[in-house]
Amino acid sequence: MAKAARVDQRLMQEGRRTRGTLYFGIGLGLAAGLLIILQAFILAHVINDVSFHGWSLVAVMPMLWALLALFVVRAALSWAGELVAFRASARIKTYLREQLLTHLLRLGPVAIAGERSADIASTMIEGVESLEPYFSRYLPQMALVSLIPLAILIAVFPEDWISGLILLIAGPLVPFFMVLVGYKAEAINQRQWKKMLLMSAHFLDVVQGLTTLKIFGRAKDEIEIVARISDDYRRTTMAGLRVAFLTSAVLEFFASLSIALVAVSLGARLLQVHASVTFYTAFFVLLLAPEFFNPLRGLSTHYHARMSAIAAAKRIFEILDMPLPEHSLDPVTYTPVREVGIAIRDLHFSYEEGRSALDGVNADFPAGKVTALVGASGAGKSTLANALLGFVHPDSGTILVNGQVPLQAIEPELWWKQLAWVPQNPRIFHGSIAENIRIARPDADMSAIREAARNAHALDFIEALPQGFDSMVGDLGQGLSGGQIQRIALTRAFLKNPPLFILDEATANLDMENEALVLDAMQKLIQGRTAIVIAHRLATAMRADQVMVMDAGKVVESGTHQDLLAAGGFYARLVAAYQGEIHE
Amino acid sequence: MNDLLRLLKLFGGYKLWMLGGAFLALLTILSNFGLLALSGWFLASAALAGLGGYATLNLYNFFLPAAGVRAFATVRVISRWLERIVTHEATFRLLAQLRIWFYSRLEPLAPAGLQGYRSGDILSRLVADIDTLNNFYLRVFTPFLVAGVATLLMSGFFAFFAWRLAIALFLFLSITGLALPLLAERLGARSGAEITNLQSEYRAQIVDGMQGMGELLTYNAGPEILRRTGALNDVLLKHQSKMSQISGFGTAGMSFMGNLAIWVILLLAIPLIHGGALGPSDLPLFALGVMGSFEAIAALPLAFQFLGQTQQAARRIFSVADTPLPFPDAKGPAPEIASPDLHLRDLHLRYPGAAKDALCGVNLDIPAGSRVAVLGATGAGKSSLANLLLRFYDYQSGSAELGGHALRDFPADNLREYFAVVSQRSYLFHTTIRDNLLVAKGDAEEDALWAALATAQLDEFVRSQPQGLDTIVGEGGVKLSGGQGRRVAIARAILKNTPWLILDEPTEGLDPITEREFLQDLRQIMQGRTVLYITHRLVGLEQMDQVHIMDNGRIVESGTYHELLQKGGQLSHFATFHQAVIPISG
Repeated sequence: MAKAARVDQRLMQEGRRTRGTLYFGIGLGLAAGLLIILQAFILAHVINDVSFHGWSLVAVMPMLWALLALFVVRAALSWAGELVAFRASARIKTYLREQLLTHLLRLGPVAIAGERSADIASTMIEGVESLEPYFSRYLPQMALVSLIPLAILIAVFPEDWISGLILLIAGPLVPFFMVLVGYKAEAINQRQWKKMLLMSAHFLDVVQGLTTLKIFGRAKDEIEIVARISDDYRRTTMAGLRVAFLTSAVLEFFASLSIALVAVSLGARLLQVHASVTFYTAFFVLLLAPEFFNPLRGLSTHYHARMSAIAAAKRIFEILDMPLPEHSLDPVTYTPVREVGIAIRDLHFSYEEGRSALDGVNADFPAGKVTALVGASGAGKSTLANALLGFVHPDSGTILVNGQVPLQAIEPELWWKQLAWVPQNPRIFHGSIAENIRIARPDADMSAIREAARNAHALDFIEALPQGFDSMVGDLGQGLSGGQIQRIALTRAFLKNPPLFILDEATANLDMENEALVLDAMQKLIQGRTAIVIAHRLATAMRADQVMVMDAGKVVESGTHQDLLAAGGFYARLVAAYQGEIHE
Repeated sequence: MNDLLRLLKLFGGYKLWMLGGAFLALLTILSNFGLLALSGWFLASAALAGLGGYATLNLYNFFLPAAGVRAFATVRVISRWLERIVTHEATFRLLAQLRIWFYSRLEPLAPAGLQGYRSGDILSRLVADIDTLNNFYLRVFTPFLVAGVATLLMSGFFAFFAWRLAIALFLFLSITGLALPLLAERLGARSGAEITNLQSEYRAQIVDGMQGMGELLTYNAGPEILRRTGALNDVLLKHQSKMSQISGFGTAGMSFMGNLAIWVILLLAIPLIHGGALGPSDLPLFALGVMGSFEAIAALPLAFQFLGQTQQAARRIFSVADTPLPFPDAKGPAPEIASPDLHLRDLHLRYPGAAKDALCGVNLDIPAGSRVAVLGATGAGKSSLANLLLRFYDYQSGSAELGGHALRDFPADNLREYFAVVSQRSYLFHTTIRDNLLVAKGDAEEDALWAALATAQLDEFVRSQPQGLDTIVGEGGVKLSGGQGRRVAIARAILKNTPWLILDEPTEGLDPITEREFLQDLRQIMQGRTVLYITHRLVGLEQMDQVHIMDNGRIVESGTYHELLQKGGQLSHFATFHQAVIPISG
C-alpha cells in the first residue's frame, strides 16, 4: 500500500502538468452535482403544487421550462466535462510516451537487452492509455466524492434532520465497508479473470500443437482434457466469485436499505395529523437520497481505474528510472574522416561486479584492413563490438580512433556516422523494402538503392516480389527468409558506405544457396575497408587480413589465417577439430 | 444476424441457465422500478391521508406499502447477487461448450484444412474470438432481452393509468436504448477502426525500435523514430478525442433523454391529475417510475459495441468451422502388415489451390530397416513426403504403399502409429517436460521417461533443474535452448517407439555446433528403425544407406553419399562449397 501511495504521489506530480485543466474539469463536475439539488427542488415543487395545491399545467409551466433548461445545462456540463478530462490526460499521455522513448533510445540496445520488446510496447500503448481514466475519472471523482454528498447533506438537513442523520450515518459506512471487504473482493474478482486468461492461453497452446498431437494420435483425447480443465476451472472460480459477489451485495444492501429507511420513516411521519414534514420535503429528500450514494458507489469502479493506472505507472517509472551511463570524458570536436583505424589498449568492462566480459583487451584494427574476431561464445567478441559501437562504456582502458581521439569523447551521433553495423540477426522494419534500405541514407535515390541491392545480391529476389521495392515487409508485412534478410542488411551497409564496418556473421544455418550469396556479398562489402567481423565460418576467417582469437575477455592470438595455423595454437586446434570431424 | 442465431442454437443445451440469469437480471431492474415508483406513491398517499384527518388516517393501511418498499429493496439486493452468480456460471459453461465444439470441428481439419491459418497470429486471433463470443451471453443477449421485456412490462404498468403515458414511456425507452447507441456507434465506427490500426502501427514501430535499436542508432535514425511515433501519437489522440466527444455525447444524451422523459410524462400527466382522471398520489409515482425505468436500457450502449465484435468473431469462427474436410478418412479396419516397406510409384501430390504439383511423379523405395536421406533446396518437395506418409494431405495419382497396402486404405490415426517425427515444427506445449513427454505415450512409467531422456541426451539437463521432470518449458518451449527443445522431440519419438522415424529438417534453426552434436546423438535412435532423413544441408549424410536428391518435386539423383560425391552432380557441387563454410566459433 505504501508503495502504491508513492506511485500515486508521482502520478499527481505528472498531473500538475495539466493542473488548470484538471481543476476546470472538477469545477464542471461540481456544478453538475449542485444542479442536481436545484433540479430536485424544482421537481418536488412541481409535483407538490399539482398534487397538493391543485395547480394546473399552465400554472406550473414556468417551473417546467426552468426544469427543461436545467436538463440542457446539465447535459452540456457533462459533455464538456468529458472533453476537458480527455484534454487533461492527452497532454500527460503525449509527454510520457515521448519521455519513455527518448529515455530508451539513450539507454541503448545493450542496457535494454533484458526487456521484452512486446512488454515495452504494451507499456507505451496500453500502459500509458490506462493512465487516462486515472486523470480523467479517478482524480476528479476523488474530489467530487466528498463535495457532492456534502452539498446534498447541507440541502437535506434544514428540510428534515432525521433523514439527514440517516444519510450521514449510512454514507461513511459504504466507503468503510468497501475498504474493509469490497476492495479485497474486487481483487479476488480480478485475479479470477486473469486466471481465465490463462485458460485461453492453454487452449491456444492446444490448438497450436494440434498437428503434433495428431502425429501422436492424441488429438481426439485432448477434447476431454479441454472439457475437464474448463470444468475444474469453473468450479474453483465460482467458489471465489460467490464470496466476491456476496461482499458487493452487502454494499448494495446498505445503500438500498438506507433509501428504503428514509422513505419509510418519511412515510410514517407524513401519516399524522399535523404531520411534522410536508410532502414537498419528503419528496425532495427522496429524490436526493440515491444521488447521495451515487458518487460513493462510483468510487469502486474508479478504484479499478486507479489500481490499473498504478500498476502501469509502476512499470512506466521503472523504465524512466533506469540509470543512463555517465560520459567520462569531455566531448571533443570530431570531424568525420574517410579512413578509420582503431587501437585498443587495456580495455576492461564488466556487466556486473566480479564478472568481467573484457579483461584487458589490446588490439589494433588498422585502417583498410579486415579483421576476423574468432572465439567461443562468451569470449567477449560481442562485448568488444558493443564497446566499439558505443553501446557499452568501458570501465577502464582506451579506444583510440586514428591514434589520437578517444572514442568516449566523441559524440555517439557523430561516431555512428562513420560506421555501419550489421548484427547477427538484422532487423527488418515495418514498411516497404525501399524504406528499409533507405534507413541507411534517407536522401538516396532509387538508382543508388538498386545499385546497393545489386552489390548485396539482393536485387534479383527483390524484383521477383510482386511489388518489388515497394513490397511491405516486417511485422505487418510478408516474411523474408533468413538469407534474404541478411542481404537486405548488407544492402543498407553498401548504401551507407562508411569508412568502418562492424559485422556479426550469422550463426544459424542458412540454406545452401543463400549462404553462398551472403558470404560473397559480405566479402565484396568489406574488401579493402576497415572492417571488424565477428566470424563464425572458416571461409570468412580465411579471407581476412588478420584473425584475432579471443578467450575469456582477452585477445590470445592474432595473425593471418596461415600464420595462426602454422603456430599450432588455439586457432589451429579449433579448425582441426571441425575439419577432422567432417572427414570422419 | 444468422451467425448469432447459430450461436444461440449452439448454446441450446444451456437454455435454462441462460434464461435463468436473464430472468434474475429482469427481476433486479423491475424491483428498482417498483422501489422508486412505490416510494413516490407511498409518500404522496401517506401525506394525503395525513392531511385528511383522523378519519382517512384510520382507513390508511400503512404497513402494506411500507413492507412493499422494504421488500423491493431486499429483492433487488438478492436478485442482483443471484443474477451475478447465475450469469457467470452460465458464461463459464458456455465458454467450455464453445471451446469443445470448436476444437472438435478443428481437429479433423488439421493441418491440411487449416493451411491458411498456419501462422500463430491467426490461430491466436481465433482463440481470442472464442473469448469474444463468450461476451455474447453476458453483454449482448441478456441486456437486449432484459431491456426489451422490461420496457414492455414497465410501459404496460403505466398503461393501467393512461395509455398516453405508456406510449410515451415506451417511445422514450426505445429511442434512447436503440437509436442513441446506434447513432453513437455509427459516428464512432471510423475513428474506432482507425484507433485500432494506429495502435498496432505504433506497436510495430516500438517493437522495431527496441529490437532494431542498435541498427537504428548507428544509422542515426533515433530522431526519425521519435518523430514518427510522435506523429502517430498525435493522430491517435485526434481520433481518441473524437471518440471521447462521441462517447461524451452518448452519456450526456442518455441522461438527458431520461430527464426529458420525466418532463414529457409530467406534461402529459399533470392535466390528467388536474382534471381528476388520475389521483394526486400518482404523479410522484410517474416521476420516480420513469427515473427507475431507465436502468433497463443503461447496458445497451455497451451491448451494441459488443454486438459488433461478437458478430465479427462469430463470422470468423464459423467460417473456419465450416471448412470442408480436405479428404475422407478410410473406414476401419486397419490393414495388417508384416513389414513396413514403402513403395512410391509415379506419385503426384498437389496442395489445394496450388498451381503445380509438390510431388511430381516420385518413385521411391524404402525397405524396412534402411536409412534414406532426401536432400534438396527449400521448396523442392521434401517435406511433402512427410505430409504424404502422415496422411496430412491426399495424393492425386500414382501409388503409395506401406507394407503392400495403399496409404489410402489406412485410417489416418492408424497409419500414424507407424511413424515418429522430429522436426523444427515439433510443438512443445506450455507445460512440464513430463507432460510434453506423455503426449507420446500417456501411460508411460517414470522410468520409461528417464530412459527416453537418457537416449535423447537430455537426462542430465533435466536432473539439474530444481523441478526435474516438472520443469515448465515455457510458451512454445522458450525456456529451453533450440537443441534442448529438439531433444524433447527425440525423447517423445523414443517413447512412441515406432518402426519408422521421420527426421524432417531436424536441425533447422540450430547453430552449427549444436547441429553436429545433435546428429551424433541421433545415431543411437536410428538403430533398428527405418529412417527418412529430410534435409537441405550436407551434414549427417554419410550415415545413410541411400541419398536421394530432390528438385522440383522429382528425384533427380540417387545413390550412396560417396557414389554421388564421385559422380560429380548436384551433391558434389554443394559439397565443395560446404567445405568452405564449416564453423569456427563455438
